[in-house]
Amino acid sequence: MRPEERNGAVRRVRDQFPVGMRVLAVDDDPVCLKVLETLLRRCQYHVTTTNQAVIALRMLRENRDLFDLVISDVHMPDMDGFKLLELVGLEMDLPVIMLSVNGETKTVMKGITHGACDYLLKPVRLEELRNIWQHVVRRKFSNRERANVDGYEECNRPLNADFDNVLDQTCVSPDQSGRPSKKRKEYYSEEEDEGEESNSQENDDSSAPKKPRVVWSVELHRKFVAAVNQLGIDKAVPKRILELMNVEKLTRENVASHLQKYRLYLKRLSAVASHQASIVAALGGSDPFMHMSAFEGLQSYQGFTSSAALSSFSPQGLLTRNNPTSFGIQGMAASRPIQIASVNSTISHSIGDTNKYQLSLPGTSNRPGNLAEGLKATSVGQVQLPQKWIQEETHDLSTIISGNGLVNGVPGALRSVADSPLLQQDLVERRQANIVIQRSSSANSEHLEGTTGVSSCLMDSHISQQSGLLLSAFSASAVPMNGSFSGTNVAKLGATSSGSTNICPSHDLRVARDNDVGDSSFGSVILLPPDTAQNQKYLNFGGGSSVRHNMDGGNADTLLDAKLAWSSLPTSQPPSNIGSHHPLSQRPNNGSLGVKMIEQTRASIAAPQTKFDMFISGDILTPKNASDLSFPRLNSELSSSSCSFDGLLNSIIKMPFHLTAVFIHVQEKDDASFSDDLGCDFYSLGACI
Amino acid sequence: MAAAALREQLNALLASMFASGLVDEQFQQLQMLQDDGSTPGFVAEVVTLFCDDADRIISELAALLEQPVVDFDKVDAYVHQLKGSSASIGAQKVKFTCMQFRQLCQDKNRDGCIMALAVVRNEFYDLRNKFQTMLQLEQQIQAQQ
Repeated sequence: MRPEERNGAVRRVRDQFPVGMRVLAVDDDPVCLKVLETLLRRCQYHVTTTNQAVIALRMLRENRDLFDLVISDVHMPDMDGFKLLELVGLEMDLPVIMLSVNGETKTVMKGITHGACDYLLKPVRLEELRNIWQHVVRRKFSNRERANVDGYEECNRPLNADFDNVLDQTCVSPDQSGRPSKKRKEYYSEEEDEGEESNSQENDDSSAPKKPRVVWSVELHRKFVAAVNQLGIDKAVPKRILELMNVEKLTRENVASHLQKYRLYLKRLSAVASHQASIVAALGGSDPFMHMSAFEGLQSYQGFTSSAALSSFSPQGLLTRNNPTSFGIQGMAASRPIQIASVNSTISHSIGDTNKYQLSLPGTSNRPGNLAEGLKATSVGQVQLPQKWIQEETHDLSTIISGNGLVNGVPGALRSVADSPLLQQDLVERRQANIVIQRSSSANSEHLEGTTGVSSCLMDSHISQQSGLLLSAFSASAVPMNGSFSGTNVAKLGATSSGSTNICPSHDLRVARDNDVGDSSFGSVILLPPDTAQNQKYLNFGGGSSVRHNMDGGNADTLLDAKLAWSSLPTSQPPSNIGSHHPLSQRPNNGSLGVKMIEQTRASIAAPQTKFDMFISGDILTPKNASDLSFPRLNSELSSSSCSFDGLLNSIIKMPFHLTAVFIHVQEKDDASFSDDLGCDFYSLGACI
Repeated sequence: MAAAALREQLNALLASMFASGLVDEQFQQLQMLQDDGSTPGFVAEVVTLFCDDADRIISELAALLEQPVVDFDKVDAYVHQLKGSSASIGAQKVKFTCMQFRQLCQDKNRDGCIMALAVVRNEFYDLRNKFQTMLQLEQQIQAQQ
């Protein structure tokens, strides 16, 4: 429908609200969808249906204003309903109602904690549907209230232009404390609309009377994490955190909800971390790597992911531009920070919209600001992932790499990476940008360690931390990417990722040390430059572990087929393929961000739970779940044509105990082309995390 | 046959379906939606959709359960989907069987699953027959009008 028509029509029917309320219904089951549609029409709503979550997301992203409400099934093959829920909430701030035949309390609880405004059981009845309009009203009302009541204070952060308007508001609105805060600045804040046009997706206009949501900027989140670390994750209570943070206009509720998400994120990371740890251990690795504690946060930070998504990973940018910012993976167990400069810089790539960084680093969502800032920070728009993240010990990485006979002297590579822009343009281009964003729990470097670009970058940072194996793995495998880098990167990735490949763009990935949960989450975002051909080589890690190429999906050709198979590094076990990174969406033409998911490590990995979720953005390939590890539906989730990230995120989210390595494959082709794609991809990637 | 007689037949059929627990109030609601007049042919459409979909799912399940190593997660996913469909259309018996089926999946009980699949299949075929008869009767009634 043309916008004008639609607006007109919309305005007309809006007058008679709830009649004409526009609902988007998403359900993979055709029967349910049909029934739902009919029932909704009977309530005189205007209904749009789709049986694929990715299509729904696309529609919503194209124009958020087209809909008032989203109803989504929980169980869908291409994307988890919860993931969609989070994404929609974060990006578009629309009310979402969950629908499922499963009425178990814990599932319902999950829906609510993920931000659903309601949870209906199938078979849904007409009477129930008649009332759903209340959610729309309630949301608008509360937003408006918040906007009126609380001012917001401009947070004068040196954000890039993109974020200029975004306010780092710390006003909290009691009823929305959870979700809004996760909203990234780049997403437009919810509009109080009475038919007003929605802000551009890019939402820079937060200056308008936005509701005073708490936006967890990088700064803020950094403070938060510092406070939490100071108190100790177990002892961290909102009140004390608030005191320590000492931020005006931040309320306890804000902190509480943020903390909750952070915890989930950490949990998720830890799950991954532990896995990685095992891998690293196998490598004889460094403890520091395995700090996967924090994946728990991942879950909760789905919000992050959406926003974070690899923010601006412009493939080129990432690699080329990386400022060799030291991303010092500080977090990582006090590992010597690996200067994964490249990583950082890469991330800051101007991905599509710089603002939206879609660093889907776990927990990134919490700090949209962080990423944004980080991203913005670099002139090139590199995202600097929170330092914590990629505190990879380069040393370790190198060590591991060398230890494992990494190719090209990974260590060297590491160094080089560290020293120089990680990703050389060409590298990046070709390689997968691995952004390993690890958040080290405490250390936290506030810089975003956007290690993008050279996979090594990422890998180094996190990967090394996480799994020494990965490194080795990489090294073992041929270096597909051009030249040394790829090799090293891969290796690095391998090394690190084995442990925990958490690509948590946004949040602190705490790398669990010694599988220490809760310590530091790793958010390793591994951006693997699209290097299709070469990626394949990555997959062979460790003792010739079988490389799995799980490139299911379509863009296998375009996407970097870099499956990093990280050999699991359980000491006792022979390295196996740890995971393959599938470069996602390597669309040469459109610079899609390819996220490589690191497939879960193979069984050899001591901790079979490590699953690397493969993120495939854009042209996501559905990695075949080659590994034996149960990779439930990851494949399905992963496959997606356009918003692969979503799937990835989804899968990542879904697998709390798996290492989710998001390899964001930045396609370095052209920045320009990139942006567009990235935007979308990134979002999803972010969402994923 | 006269329309009235056809209608009587149809009603009897429906009554028996309800009485035997083959369908439940959800189906009734769907019928009401159609009877309201605004969505003619709705029931036929949904029923057809359901039959095709369920058929497909059952085939997939059969294939999955034949594997030497059964992927119970996938099986569970399909059963979940079937459960959702049957709930939406009001196919009560099928839905209940699916619930049991899911439990067996979670227990990773392969033989149990195979048996449950057989039960689901039978119930589905039974339901499908009745649906087909129902649709035919409706068509005939329509033709008469």
